[in-house]
Amino acid sequence: MRWLSPLIIGMALLGFWEIAVKQAEIPVFVLPPPSAIGAALVQHAATLAASLWVTVQVTAMAFFWAIVSGIGLAIIFTRSRLIEMTLYPYVVTLQVTPVVAIAPLILIWVGFDNVDRALVIIAWIVAFFPMLTNTVQGLRAVEPQLHDVMSLSGANWWQRLWHLELPSALPAILTGAKISGGLALIGAVVAEFVAGSGASTGLAWRIIEAGNRLEIALMFAALALLSVLGIALFYALTLLEYICLRRWHDSFR
Amino acid sequence: MTGSALRLADIELTYNAENKAAHRALHELSAQFPAGSFTALVGPSGCGKSSLLRLLAGLQAPTQGQVETVAQQQIGYVFQEPALMAWKSVYDNVALPLRLADGANASDVDARTKEALQQVGLAARTSALPNELSGGMKMRVSLARALAKRPPVLLMDEPFAALDELTRFRLDDDLRAIWQQTGCTIVFVTHSVTEAAYLAERVYVMDVGSIAAELSIEQTGRGDNFRTAPAYHTACAAISKTLGHDFATGAD
Repeated sequence: MRWLSPLIIGMALLGFWEIAVKQAEIPVFVLPPPSAIGAALVQHAATLAASLWVTVQVTAMAFFWAIVSGIGLAIIFTRSRLIEMTLYPYVVTLQVTPVVAIAPLILIWVGFDNVDRALVIIAWIVAFFPMLTNTVQGLRAVEPQLHDVMSLSGANWWQRLWHLELPSALPAILTGAKISGGLALIGAVVAEFVAGSGASTGLAWRIIEAGNRLEIALMFAALALLSVLGIALFYALTLLEYICLRRWHDSFR
Repeated sequence: MTGSALRLADIELTYNAENKAAHRALHELSAQFPAGSFTALVGPSGCGKSSLLRLLAGLQAPTQGQVETVAQQQIGYVFQEPALMAWKSVYDNVALPLRLADGANASDVDARTKEALQQVGLAARTSALPNELSGGMKMRVSLARALAKRPPVLLMDEPFAALDELTRFRLDDDLRAIWQQTGCTIVFVTHSVTEAAYLAERVYVMDVGSIAAELSIEQTGRGDNFRTAPAYHTACAAISKTLGHDFATGAD
C-alpha cells in the first residue's frame, strides 16, 4: 500500500494531464503532454544522463563537505564556548546572506577555470547550516548522567565523544543530514543558474538552455530528473536513518 | 576486596555562588563512612542527599571543606535512573567502564562483565538493548555496571525509588548479599524510611543541608525475613522520629 497508492494517484494524474492537454489543444511549447516529455527523455537520454551526473557530483561533494564541516565545527563549538561565541555570528552571516548574491563573487574568486569547484562551494554554503545546528543541538542534549558515567570511567575527551556524544547525537545528526541533503541539491541547481553560460553542464543548465530554445518538453524532462534525484536522496537518507536507529531509538518503536 | 573509608569534613556547598541564583545545598556538614560499612542517607527531597553523594564521587567539588574519597575509577555509582546507553547492548553497557580503564585487557573485561551480569541475574540477556528490558531489569544492568568495576566504594542515589515494591524488595536483598560478599563500603541515598532500616547498619538522617542525626541499626534477627524482626521495626520508628514523623500513624 505504501508504494502502490502514491503510484496509482501518479498514474491517474499523468493520464488526466495527457488527455486534458490533447482535448484543450494546448500548444506543446506551453504545456507538453507527458508522452512528449517521455519522448524528450528518450531522445536526449545521453546528454541528460551526462548532465544528471554533473549535478549528482556537485550535490554529493557539497553534501559531503556539509557533513564533514558541520559535524567538525559542531564538535569544536561544543568543546569551547569561547570559540562558539566568537565564530557563531559569522556562521549566521554566511547563512542569512542570500547565496545568489555571493555566488558571482565566488565564481570570480575561484575562477572560471574551476567552475565545478565554485558550484560545490555555493551548494555547500546552502547545505551546511542545518548540519551544524542539528549536530550542536544533538551533542548538547546528552543525558547528564551519562556524562557522569563517562567521568567515573575516567574517559578522555575522545572516548567521551566516540562512545557517548556522537552516538547520542546521531538522531539529530541524521535529521540534519536529511535537510542538508535536500539543500545541497537546491544549492547545486541555484549555483548552476548563477554560473549561467555553458561553463557548467548540469541539469539546471539544461533547463535554462531548453527554455531559451522553447523546448519545453526537454525542460520538463530535466526537471523530472531533478525531482527524481531529490526523492532518491531523501529516501536514501531515510533508509540510512532507519538502519542506524531502528533498534534503539524511541522514534522507531 | 575490602572497602575504603570515606570522610567529609566541614563541607560548604553553594551552587552558582558567583551570581544571584546562588543556592546553598550543604552547610557545615561532616560525615564519616568507615571501611566496609553500609550507610543509608535519609531525608526529605531537596535536603542535599544527592549533592553529598556527588561530592563523594568527585562529580562535584565542595565550595569549602575536605573530601576524602577514592579515585573515580574505584567508585561504583548507581543513579536514580538506569542511565544506560540506549544504543549499546546490556553487555556493552556493563563492559564500557572496564574497557575505558587504564591497562584493560580483553579477557579480563569479558570475565568481569559476565560475572557482574551473573550477579544481578541477567546472564541470559547480554545481547538485549536497554529498550527491550523492563524497568527492574534496566536497574539491574545499571547495578551490574557499577559492580563490574569491583569497586571498594559503591554509591547509590535512590536507585530503586522508581520500581514497584516487589522488585524493590528483591533488589534490596540482592544488594545486601552483594555487600556481604564483597565487603565494599556502601552509601545508599533513599527517601524511604523502611528501605533505609532494612538495608543499612547505620543511617544518617539529613535535614536541609546538614546531617541531623546518626543512628545505628541493631543487626539481630538478620537471618531470614528481617522485615518481621523487632529490630527492623524499632529502626523504622527511630528514623521516623528523627525525621519528625510518627511512624505508627503511617506518615512515611
